Amino acid sequence: MGSGARPAASRPGRVKGGPATKNRLEELRRQHGIRQEELADALGVSRQTIGSLENGRYNPSILLAFKLARYFGLAIEDIFLYEEEQP
Amino acid sequence: MKRNAFHILLVLAGLAAMLAGLFWARAVPDAVPAYLCLGLGAGALGHGAGALLQRAALKDAPDIQRRIEIEAADERNIALANRAKAKAYDAMIYIFSAVMLVFALMRVDWAAVLLLVAAYLAVVGVGIYYRCKYDKEM
Repeated sequence: MGSGARPAASRPGRVKGGPATKNRLEELRRQHGIRQEELADALGVSRQTIGSLENGRYNPSILLAFKLARYFGLAIEDIFLYEEEQP
Repeated sequence: MKRNAFHILLVLAGLAAMLAGLFWARAVPDAVPAYLCLGLGAGALGHGAGALLQRAALKDAPDIQRRIEIEAADERNIALANRAKAKAYDAMIYIFSAVMLVFALMRVDWAAVLLLVAAYLAVVGVGIYYRCKYDKEM
């Protein structure tokens, strides 16, 4: 955690000048009152993966995105927000 | 249970290979296969014993077992490992090239240089093969 200040283009999983995603994962998790460990356990991933997702350092696979959406009872677009990066 | 049997077999085979290698090396000190037997036996023994010990240690700790399984199947961990392997492959291509050049400049025996070139081409060939294979699958 804490390296969210890195420029978007230098983050792993990001293509320079390409599209980026933001997400409401941390906000939703806090609303549900659960810890990262609990969410990770429920989804069958590591706690580090949840941390990286919340920091925006890692974009999930479509399967994990569906699992997250189903867990929170929302659509994927309600959790992950797509935005075009400025060149 | 099947995996346990496999690892027990591996331990026994490793032990047998080690002992055979040891006696062979004592009888014929110059016999290279004897040392090969020793090495392979030690490797098999270590691998098998390690797996059996891990299984025994985790038998009464299902939580840790589950955690290990999650860590192994975690998509981010797999992505990290694959990315690291890709970087290592890129580095290996340059390192191989440099070693081939140095060998040629050092006037190392042609057989050794050609073997290195063959290994380099084999690695690149495997890369191209999987590129084509995955191209058809995805």
